[in-house]
This record gives sequence, C-alpha cells and structure tokens, in this order.
Amino acid sequence: MTTMTVRRPLPLLRRVLADSWRGLIGWSLGLAGVVGMYLPLYSTIGGNPEFLAIIESLPPELVAALSYDQITTGAGYTQGTVHGLIGFVLVTIAAVGWGSSIIAGDDERGTLELTLAHGVDRTQLVLERFGAIALKLLALATLLALMVLALNEPAALELSVEGIVAGSVSLLGLGLLTAAVGTMTGAIVGRRSLAVGAAAGVAVLGYALNALGNQNPDLEWLHALSPYFWAYGAEPLANGFDGLMGLLYAVAAVAVVVAVLAFRRRDVAV
Amino acid sequence: MTPVIQTRALTKRYGRRTALHGIDLTIEPGRVFGVIGPNGAGKTTTMRVLLDIIRATSGEVRVLGADPRTAGPDLRRRIGYLPGELALEGRATAHGLLRHYAELSGPVAVGRIEQLSERLGLDLGRPVRSLSKGNKQKVGLVQAFMHDPELLVLDEPTSGLDPLVQQEFLTMVREARDAGRTVFLSSHVISEIQQAADDVAVLRAGRIVDVSTVDRLRAAARRSVRVTVRPDARDALLARLGALPHLEELRYEESDGTVTIHGELGDGVAAFVAAVAVSEPLDLVVQEPDLESAVLGFYGTLGEEGDR
Repeated sequence: MTTMTVRRPLPLLRRVLADSWRGLIGWSLGLAGVVGMYLPLYSTIGGNPEFLAIIESLPPELVAALSYDQITTGAGYTQGTVHGLIGFVLVTIAAVGWGSSIIAGDDERGTLELTLAHGVDRTQLVLERFGAIALKLLALATLLALMVLALNEPAALELSVEGIVAGSVSLLGLGLLTAAVGTMTGAIVGRRSLAVGAAAGVAVLGYALNALGNQNPDLEWLHALSPYFWAYGAEPLANGFDGLMGLLYAVAAVAVVVAVLAFRRRDVAV
Repeated sequence: MTPVIQTRALTKRYGRRTALHGIDLTIEPGRVFGVIGPNGAGKTTTMRVLLDIIRATSGEVRVLGADPRTAGPDLRRRIGYLPGELALEGRATAHGLLRHYAELSGPVAVGRIEQLSERLGLDLGRPVRSLSKGNKQKVGLVQAFMHDPELLVLDEPTSGLDPLVQQEFLTMVREARDAGRTVFLSSHVISEIQQAADDVAVLRAGRIVDVSTVDRLRAAARRSVRVTVRPDARDALLARLGALPHLEELRYEESDGTVTIHGELGDGVAAFVAAVAVSEPLDLVVQEPDLESAVLGFYGTLGEEGDR
C-alpha cells in the first residue's frame, strides 16, 4: 500500500505555528511600530535639557518607579521606553495569551481531547507547543534587536552590540517565564481564566516589586523576588550580559517541567 | 481469542460524585458493540478512559491487549476515536486538519481522506470553524476511519448527520466489521444501535444494567401507535386492541368523520398489526421506540438519578 508522508518531526509545533503566524505578524508590526516611533525621539527627549528639567520636577518616587533616572543615556532611554515599558507590555500580553491557550484554552474549547486521542504523548504535546511559543518569542526578540541595531546610529543611542543583544535576551527570558507560568497553570487546572490570571499576575507583580524596590534601600530586597529585576536590574543594554537574567530561563524551565508532570497526571475534558 | 476491550470493575469518581460504578465489559474482535443509555449514564466517560483522556479511579482496563494508561501513543494509533462533544476550531481547512491528525496517527493511505470525504459529502477545502455541525461530524468520522484502525470508538457517531449520510456511515461500520475491525459505539437512539450493532449494553447511572442482543432490547421497548379507522369500525377494534396484553394507554378521538385510536405498545407488534388489519385501517403509524422508553420499559420506572 502506498502511504502519504507521515511522522515528519514536530507535528504539534508546526501546527501551532501554522495556526498562528498571522497573529505573530500582527505582534511584530506592533513591536516594530513602537520601537520605530520611540527610539528616533531620543535626541529630542532624552538628551534635551528642557525635558531633563521636567523629569527633575517629577516626584522622585515616580522617576524611580519608571527608571527614568537613567533616561539621559541612550541605554537608559531605550530601557525606559522600549525594553522596560512598551516592549515589555507587548511581549507580556503576547506571552500571556500564548501560554494560557496551548493547554488550558485548547482544553476549554474541547479541541484538546481529540488531539490527545491520536498518537500523541502528553510530554511531547507540552514541549512541542511550548517550543512553538519560544520560537515566536524568539522572533519578536530578534526583531527588537535588529530594530534597535538599525536605529542605534541614526538616533545616537551609542549602544554596544552586546548590550543590544543582551537587552533582547532579557526581554525574551521575561516572555518565556510569563508564558511558562501560563502553560504550567493551564496544565494543572485546565482553566484559561486562571492561566491568564497567573501569567499576567507574575508579570505585573514582577514589575510592581521592582518599582517598589527602587524606592529606597529598605525595600531593595524585593528585587530578589522580581522577574522584571532579574531581567533588567543589571542594566543589560548598558552593561551587556549578566548572570541574573539566567534566573529567568531557569525558572521558566522549572515551570515547563512542572507543566509536563502535572499534565501527564491530569484528566482532560472534564 | 483475546478481547479487544476488557474492563473489570472500572470505577471513576470525581470527588464525591461517582461516574462509573464498576463497569465490566468484554468486547470480542470483529464485533460491533453498542452501548446505549440516557445522557449522563457514563458512555462518554467509559470511552475517554479507553483513550487515556481520563484515568480510572480503580479497576482494570485492557485495550488491544494493553493498558491505555501506560501503553502510550502507539496504542492510540491503532484506535480511531470520535468524541461525543466534537469541537473543531481554527482557520485550518478540513483537509489541513485531517492531514495534521494523519501525521499524528498515520500512516494513512494515499487518497483515503478524499475517498471518505466524498462518500460522506464533505467539502475538504473549507475552514473547519465555518462548517455546520453535520459537516464537523463528517470531519470527525473521516479522522476516525482514515488510518484504518483495528478498533473504532465512536461516541454518538450519527449526531447531526442527515439520514442519507447516516446510511453511508452504517455502511462504513459494516465494512469495517467485515474487514475484521472491532467497533464500539454509543447512542441514545435505539434505531441507530439496532441498525449498526450486534451486541448491546445498556448503561444507566454509571452501571451496566444489561448486556443483550439488539432484538431482545427492541422487543421490550414501548412505542407510540396510532391507527385511523371509519367510525363504524371503532368499537370492534377497541375491543380487540383491549385484549392485547402489551398495549396500554388506549384512547381515541373523532374528527372529520374518522376515528383515531392512540396507544403505547410494548412487545407484540405482530399481534397488534393482525388486530388492526381486520378493521381495514385508513392509516397506521407505529413510531420508533426511543431509548428512554426502552430502558424504562425494560427495568420498570427508574428515576432521574443519572450522573456523568
């Protein structure tokens, strides 16, 4: 009997990508738009004496929370506007949506049952689908790095290539951690709303703990609990790679392992 | 011969709620085995345990000689499964989705997807999310049959299908059986079980209340009957019908110069028809017995204590 081509590698990963490449293009356009809008303004905002006067007139707590105390350097400006703010928000929203949909969303829609009834192992399902998210986040992080690289000279940001790459790697780690928490929660409980809540909660809490920790030395210990601080506390755009950001990847990996173990044990479609 | 499906004392609890109270089921190779029961009787739960979508609380399960809990994907490649609550979403076309499932559970013979789709009248080029319920059900049937599995597990397979497609489905089931495959299907419509299945189990509130042949179950089912005669034939017919042991709730109404007699018939269709024929009826309707009445008729009045 002649048979059609079967068992090409990574069928579930390819399926996620085939189903969601349109969405990824949307996120890419959004990210590119934000970066292309903010970074060229550095010379008129970040280095502008009048703008500095405005910042000095702001409450110091607010300036610390937004990390605007570094805004006079190209690295500080890029961090304060893109990696630490709008880019962070975009990547977080994408990661929350993707992470909560691959298991919990699929289970709630009722479509997960049929996939699992086919020749699929549950470990394989979690790893391939999370792998697809990782690829999509990598695409966004790569796009961000290329955009910053392209605008580095025209906008006089004076960033090093290592700093640009490190900034993207930090944001990628943050996105992976957020998506992994959503995946893990979905694997445990199968409810999309809870998965979204947990993933978004970790991202928001991380931002809040970092902002609080910036306020005064007595609160600095909060930084240790903040994924946002793990990503940006060592100022990767200015200083390049640092071991701290490795924590993001380590915690994300642990969350994926927990997701696999939980999902292997759980009833689906109940 | 080793049974294709064997469960012993299969029990499933969700917290304090018990969905399956010790199911013992043996299905031999090459048989079409139907399970009927009202919604919530445990049909879907039983099937999901066979596919390792949910896990039994206790009891033994063997499918094609293996324990689904530990056998892994290779076992499920030998099974074709149609979920009872079939959900298909996404932008992918029916063909794209079927190719995806073929990659997971294949190999699938060249042209097999197209051939099955043509038999069922399914347009493969449309996005699945835009398909009607009936057409989604066809996609579900194609993915269950396409890799020619040794075992077909079909939960409410004809749900949403129009009568012509139902007939085609029944033909596909017979072909699978003739090719030595085993079919395990569920329904709450007795006619479907009667046409498709060799053996039948009646499931109620998580227990198997009877394993029987289709003929015996059907004979015990109650069906509504209605016969229309001329007014002058009324009294004689009522007297003859009143003498039938399995005919109950007799009543009649008159309109437009005819008399219509209604009743509920259990066993004894032949005696009923003979009694009616003498009166030269103008019209005669014997309705399909539904499962609800079959089960109620078989086991006496049973309350709604069903759970999933």
